[in-house]
Amino acid sequence: MSAIQHITSAMHEGRSTPQATATETARRLTEAAPLNAVLHWSPELLAAEARRVEAVSPAERFRLPLAGVPIGVKDNIVTTEQPTTCASRILEGYISPYDATAVKRLRAAGAMIAAKTNLDEFAMGSSTEHSAFGRVLLPLDHSRVPGGSSGGSAALVAAGVVPAALGSETGGSVRQPASFCGIVGVKPTYGRVSRFGLVAFGSSLDCISVFGQTVDDAGRVLAAISGHDPLDATTANLPPIVLERPRGHLRGLTFGLPTEYLPADLHPGVRAGVDRAVAAVKELGGTVKSVSLPHSKYAVPTYYIVAPAEAAANLARFDGVRYGPRKIGPAGDLRALYQATRGQGFGAEVRRRILVGTYVLSSGYYDAYYRKAQQVRALLADDFRRAFAEQGVDALLTPTTPTPSFKAGEKTADPVSMYLADIFVCSANLAGLPALSIPVGRSEGLPIGVQLMGPAWSEAALLSMAAALEATVSATSEVR
Amino acid sequence: MSIGKEQILHVARLAELAVADADVPTLVEQMNRIVEFVAQLDEVPAGEEAPPFVAGPAELALRPDEPGPVPLSHPIKAFAPEFRDGLFLVPRLGSMEDA
Repeated sequence: MSAIQHITSAMHEGRSTPQATATETARRLTEAAPLNAVLHWSPELLAAEARRVEAVSPAERFRLPLAGVPIGVKDNIVTTEQPTTCASRILEGYISPYDATAVKRLRAAGAMIAAKTNLDEFAMGSSTEHSAFGRVLLPLDHSRVPGGSSGGSAALVAAGVVPAALGSETGGSVRQPASFCGIVGVKPTYGRVSRFGLVAFGSSLDCISVFGQTVDDAGRVLAAISGHDPLDATTANLPPIVLERPRGHLRGLTFGLPTEYLPADLHPGVRAGVDRAVAAVKELGGTVKSVSLPHSKYAVPTYYIVAPAEAAANLARFDGVRYGPRKIGPAGDLRALYQATRGQGFGAEVRRRILVGTYVLSSGYYDAYYRKAQQVRALLADDFRRAFAEQGVDALLTPTTPTPSFKAGEKTADPVSMYLADIFVCSANLAGLPALSIPVGRSEGLPIGVQLMGPAWSEAALLSMAAALEATVSATSEVR
Repeated sequence: MSIGKEQILHVARLAELAVADADVPTLVEQMNRIVEFVAQLDEVPAGEEAPPFVAGPAELALRPDEPGPVPLSHPIKAFAPEFRDGLFLVPRLGSMEDA
């Protein structure tokens, strides 16, 4: 039984109430405070969330898929009742006048918003060390990072504080921390979940995504927030995801193992995790075959042109006039105000990415960098199309990350080394495809995840395959 | 291609970003490292014949170009202290100069 099923069945059977769940969640949030996973929460807001659910009649509540379930929300997804800071000084104290569509849908499904979670500033990072409000700790080993940028949501789910949480992905920011923390992370197809109320980073890449303690937890939350939204013109005109019944086998399914994702120098624990998943697929009746995604090695450099270029444009709105604290520059004029507010308000990684993005879009460099990156992006997407349409692959099976969680401070001095932590996850964002990470064991005590990627709109099928693997593979035993 | 101090300061001006003098040497080093890293795309023979990239799956077709009301979370008059006949009421310019 998943964590969400535990909570909802206890409530429907009269063994618990939303208020009791809220009180217990508040206790766990207090206990988990040393992780620094949360930026805003209060017992009063949690109690108010519980009262809202209790105001619904028991019969109606029974029909709500997330009735009384506490959910964490990454602090780049806007809410009216708590601040939304994106873990940046430039938005300190900012309170949105509206709720994100995903938040509205969670509440409509009966969920209780438990906390706004810490992140790399403006979702730029792979370790949640780039938050203006301090780094997030890996629950299993406080000297290590939980991954990023949605590290606060990941740590909160991994610590058992909430059964599920929202994160956001631009280049793997949910699957990578899910892998580091030993939980499930699901990124939907671009256009499956509304981005209305997600603070924009890379608009052609951004996806609100979901963490769960189990595949079932993540699937239920993803289904609740999915579907067309008139407030986001890039959502597809499709109905919400309908979850499939868990399957006990993988017969008739072919899994592609891309050779480019298994380099000779892959961390041995990660390699052993993939081997364990491959053995499980075969045990469940599935077929595994080797495939090639020849442009994979260009995914990270492509991403680090496209994403900063879009970020430089999106973050232009944070100028000290419309949002957050304002700094008056030395010249005292408007331009000095912009420059001082942005120079002091953004942290080092955000400033660096704005500079890179501005550089690749600037006169004389656009063709060499941005246009070229868009061409390579089309080739990367075509690699996936061929694998699914021409090589008869139902899903691709890869490692989620090249290594388990690394030590805090290990990669902060070298941005490129940090960027390479996303080498296996950012392709799905560039191609707009659904992908998920599930834990398949531990290496020297640290969680190892594997990734499944599928064709557009295949979330329900991917979740069902992942559930079969989850039931077969031990997520907490050492891989060999 | 290498990036120098002048180029960093030029890009920072374009981005409306104040950069402290002390941060410039590190930025020069890191920007060069990043630009050198992304320049490996030069190896890819993607010329004019490369297909154009469109974000998202094909199902995300553009909606019809028909003007209509923008769905807002709050009524438009909630965005300003005073709203009348479809207009936001603001102080007269003269009164702002006096303030």
